[in-house]
Amino acid sequence: MKPLVEMQHARLSVPTGHIFQKRKVILGDVSFSVQQGTSTAYLGTNGAGKTSTFRILCGLVKPDQGRVLFDGEPMSKGLPPKRFGFMPEHPYFYKNLTPQELLEGLGRLSGLQSHGLKKNIQVWAEKLDFEHVLKQRLATCSKGQVQRVGLAQALIHQPDFILLDEPLSGLDPLGRARVRQVIHEEMKRGATVLFSSHILSDAEAMCDQVVVLQQGEVTYSGEIHTLLAQQNRWLIKVRTASDVACLAESSTVFSRDGVQHIRGESLATRDAMIQRILSMRDATLMAVEFEQRTLEDAFMDLLQNRGASDASRD
Amino acid sequence: MQAVIEIAKLSFADAIRNKVAYGVFAFLVALLATASLLASVTMGRTELMVLDLGLGGVSILGNLMAIILTVQSLQQERESRTLYVLMTRLQGRWKYLVGKFLGLAAVLGLQVLVMSLLLAGCIAFFGSIYWLSFVQACVVTLFEVWMVIAIALLFAQSSSLFLAVLLTLSVDVAGRFAFVIRQLGEQSEQLALQWVTQVMYALLPNLDAVNLRSQAGYMDALPWSELLHTTTYAISEIALILMVASLLFERRNLA
Repeated sequence: MKPLVEMQHARLSVPTGHIFQKRKVILGDVSFSVQQGTSTAYLGTNGAGKTSTFRILCGLVKPDQGRVLFDGEPMSKGLPPKRFGFMPEHPYFYKNLTPQELLEGLGRLSGLQSHGLKKNIQVWAEKLDFEHVLKQRLATCSKGQVQRVGLAQALIHQPDFILLDEPLSGLDPLGRARVRQVIHEEMKRGATVLFSSHILSDAEAMCDQVVVLQQGEVTYSGEIHTLLAQQNRWLIKVRTASDVACLAESSTVFSRDGVQHIRGESLATRDAMIQRILSMRDATLMAVEFEQRTLEDAFMDLLQNRGASDASRD
Repeated sequence: MQAVIEIAKLSFADAIRNKVAYGVFAFLVALLATASLLASVTMGRTELMVLDLGLGGVSILGNLMAIILTVQSLQQERESRTLYVLMTRLQGRWKYLVGKFLGLAAVLGLQVLVMSLLLAGCIAFFGSIYWLSFVQACVVTLFEVWMVIAIALLFAQSSSLFLAVLLTLSVDVAGRFAFVIRQLGEQSEQLALQWVTQVMYALLPNLDAVNLRSQAGYMDALPWSELLHTTTYAISEIALILMVASLLFERRNLA
């Protein structure tokens, strides 16, 4: 697979203070690529630099250093408009316009002809479930409805690359399911998607690549399967009156319904643990399970690892 | 060009429904109240007093609406992130500013037209004036308002709404005294003051040059060549301001 979008060594800092200005680093040497036809989740904590990265991709902000490539071509002023759709975080658009008027205007701005545009808007409104507010002023629409209009405007011209900043925030479970469905359909069409989200369960269901950003630096970039496979865990359930905490050196121990649970990652530790439990007289081995880690687990571990490495450096 | 027209259409549709645009009704109420008051206290030629006050009112209200609508529109587009969505659809940020200018110019043009018609109706109720010079004054006022939109577009890029309004108002007021500022420098013997006033005169848009209110209604119309000269000046000034605004906007980080 060849990358459709690449960000290479992007650095961004912003001035802080009023009179004696210093510069705060937002992004420090960020590089990643988005493969053609994939969906990539761009994850990070608040203030990690996700929105800044998206603004650089859009050409809204110029990085201090680094460049963006689209289809192998360097883009100094953002991505090519007709091949690219963008949904910003929490948009609320023109309050005095209706979704119909907004989508017609933005659709024509993306090069769509008036003929067929109205039908196209109707199709998207039905797909994203806002057809009943199409002729209503945006000021009177709910946050979730405006969010769906925002998604529709990013997709209406069928772009090759779709950039979505928090597409699931403010949506109810049904709305989130619809958005997930729409993104899957867009990928089937052949579109490439890059999105950010704090709802990691949804991100996991929507992506096949992950980029994790922490304090302006990429700490993981690759396939989600690789990330999750790296960190699969085991769980041993044992019924015993003895204290098993001393057995489990590098593992987590907790009790649930009178059964001791021991959780760990290393297979060697697991085998040693089973041997010890079997040798205990008052212990009954109830189960040994393999736990598929979620994206949320993996993300939390990456954060903790980073925190630990920062602490050891200090 | 298609992109500029689409931006203009979106801006027009949004601004025409803005509550500030209803200032035209405030004008109507103020005009009727003033006219009836004048009619009760003046002895004859009430129409000329209504004309003076009315044209001043059209200019002041037009200027204020131009500043508020323009600055508010740009700031809201940034806050609502509509600006980002528009920018990703444009190749060249200047298209946004020119489209925005055209959309707002159409809204304010409509308002100046409505206010002028209301004023004409009110004047006609009291008597007759030199109508052609009245029409010329209204047309030139329209260009004055358009110049103010361009100035507001230049300053609306600043990060604060208050600062944008303050800067636009300052240039608007100073622009009315551009000629006086130059004269002040010419009369001074201090070289530094002469130099400063000359620079200010060169930089400030001369809003006094687009003012035919003092002669409207009292005397015959201006020769068409003079009117053409005035409107050409206004158009050149608008183009120049929009060019500077576009250059600044092109370099700006939209964070």
